[in-house]
Amino acid sequence: MAVKGFVRNMKPLDVLTGEQLEEIHSATLHVLRKTGVRFDSTRALELFEKNGCRVNHDTNRVRFPEGLVEECLRKAPSRFHVRARNPENDMVWGGNTTYFQALSGMRTVDLNTWEPRTPTREEYYDAITVLDGLENVSIVPWYTPWFGFKHIPPVMAMPEGLAARLRNTSKFTCAGYSMGCELFNIQMAQAVGAELRTMMAASPPLTFYEETIDAAFRIVEAGFVLLPTSGSVYGGTAPATIAGSLVSGNAEIMAGLVFAQLVRPGTRVIAQDFSFPQNMRTGAPAFGSMEISLHQAAFNQIWHGYGIPTDGGVCYPNSKKIDYQAGYEKAIIATIGALSGTNTIWIQGALYGELAFHPVQAVIDDDIAGMLGRFLQGIEVNDETLAVGVIDEVGPIPGHYLNQPHTRKWWKKEQFIPRASDRLTHPEWLKQGKKDCIAIAKERCEQIRSCHRVSPPLTESQEQDIERIVKEARNFYRKKGLISDIEWENYQKDIASPNYPYG
Amino acid sequence: MTDEQKGIIENLRKAIFEYNAKLAKESATQAIEKGIDPVEAMNVMTVAIREIGDAFEKGELWLPDLVGASDAMQAASPVLEEEMKRKGLQKESLGTVVAGTVFGDIHSIGKTMVTTLLTAAGFHVEDLGVNVKAEAFIEAIQKHGADLLAMSALMTTTMAEQEKVIEALKREGIRERVKVMVGGAAVTDEFAEDIGADGFEPTAPGAVELAKKLLGRNTEERAKK
Repeated sequence: MAVKGFVRNMKPLDVLTGEQLEEIHSATLHVLRKTGVRFDSTRALELFEKNGCRVNHDTNRVRFPEGLVEECLRKAPSRFHVRARNPENDMVWGGNTTYFQALSGMRTVDLNTWEPRTPTREEYYDAITVLDGLENVSIVPWYTPWFGFKHIPPVMAMPEGLAARLRNTSKFTCAGYSMGCELFNIQMAQAVGAELRTMMAASPPLTFYEETIDAAFRIVEAGFVLLPTSGSVYGGTAPATIAGSLVSGNAEIMAGLVFAQLVRPGTRVIAQDFSFPQNMRTGAPAFGSMEISLHQAAFNQIWHGYGIPTDGGVCYPNSKKIDYQAGYEKAIIATIGALSGTNTIWIQGALYGELAFHPVQAVIDDDIAGMLGRFLQGIEVNDETLAVGVIDEVGPIPGHYLNQPHTRKWWKKEQFIPRASDRLTHPEWLKQGKKDCIAIAKERCEQIRSCHRVSPPLTESQEQDIERIVKEARNFYRKKGLISDIEWENYQKDIASPNYPYG
Repeated sequence: MTDEQKGIIENLRKAIFEYNAKLAKESATQAIEKGIDPVEAMNVMTVAIREIGDAFEKGELWLPDLVGASDAMQAASPVLEEEMKRKGLQKESLGTVVAGTVFGDIHSIGKTMVTTLLTAAGFHVEDLGVNVKAEAFIEAIQKHGADLLAMSALMTTTMAEQEKVIEALKREGIRERVKVMVGGAAVTDEFAEDIGADGFEPTAPGAVELAKKLLGRNTEERAKK
């Protein structure tokens, strides 16, 4: 069964002084009031105007009065319940609870050559099973495990992906938006009694495009959870300074939050920090950088001050391989995210930014999650854990604790035992074939894939609903001309496979 | 066997699986009061402890379980052994082991794990403790007619002491009478061979298997007896 989040029993790490916090907050309000944010949606502009914002209809620029922003921050709940397909996997966002969620990647990688390739349908479904079977994965979000799989047209990647996740995991899942796919995503979630979390991604600097706004209207009106995010790159789409990128990014996220509260007051919002320094050689986001941690720690501190749950622990590595670099990049970002009190850490599975995912990597990352979860739980101090009676009973040598009932009762509660780490002695390690954590993770991954099954599976009528909605999406996009003849032909062959939908 | 006797035997078994030394000792005492064959009672515990050992090997149980079960068995064993002696029955033993951590080294937990498991497996163990000088090992081997010497040294600085003990055994002319196994975090197969030991194992359960191997004891054969 999945871990129901880890409760932090210690003070969070604060990287900003009270004065710095205040300065960043004032600067953010100043940008919202003076510079404003561009919203390419007549409907949204009208909504903002009606609620006291200054709107320029030629430039689509919305300027926000401080009072409105602060009122909307108060309206957004600071702690809320979210429904998963299986009620046992429901989540409570906010407060001191930290959840771990899988990270997605565009393609899979070959574990021998490390070359990327598009996964098959079967691999896609199997990887979801692995994520469902990993104890510390609480969320299997959008685009997870991969952005799509072989033979499906790109426009169908999201509906097919959500259908696959609803089929092979009962954990909380999310859905993205693109080309109006949220219309189908919402229906699918409702068909299985689950709620969704969908992002509202700004196009920095300070812009929301029409498609994003349309999708956000639909998600908020459906009563689901909205995750406003900036997605900026400091030095490219945000100022190069961490303080400046916090101001511009937070202005974007706050604009999204105000939008959600105006559409539907009380909408559950999670603020996401998805920003990276710019790699000044390649122009790509500098995944795995140390500044990400500084940014996220400050972000978590600021938004918790506002009373808004955060998603501030995105652990994308830059490494292309499951290797030492992937390990330290993920572990450092996750650790600081956890210490600074984020409510969600994205960790299991990704390699090379968003460009690759492998379930074996997810198995290794699940141990990092477990280790951090253990740390967050802190130290239990009471009469029993202080163990004065046992210390007295055991006394000096030849006394020892291995044979004490106290040891048997407590050691497993106190120790987190990683599942894929090599913990053998040198001679045992030699005898067992010199397995490293990757070799052990491969075995565990295969064991979960072959033995684990989602609980509960979809009922027959839920399965029929999902299949009907996916079919409607196919026909919708085919009619809109977004699936070409050759794509349609390959897709039809894929659907006709005897193992469909599995592969 | 009466229902009452069956109940006592079941409690003895349960005591091992529940790591309950008190219940083990009580059940052993009751077993004798109610006329249960002490050899049979001992066998019940041996089978149970072997199941625990197997589960440990598979990674289902952990050291505290292994030691807990061994402690339960060791709480009951003296009671049954005494009865065997009284009835003139041969006490079954896989052999006599003299064990200790060598001179200069005060690390006891690894050595204690090995002696605990050796005892549970059916060896008679004379545990000399820590910081044991070569002369003390020699004296104990001669006094108890030991079949096996088990030495522990955790540190690279004290490992060499193991070699000194083996040299002393040779000087006393008893090296051929006793098998020698060495252990400790710093010890390697190569080192064991270099100093003329008969074997090395990195883990406590492995040490039990090594002891059996060195003395030519086979658990399965013993179970059949």
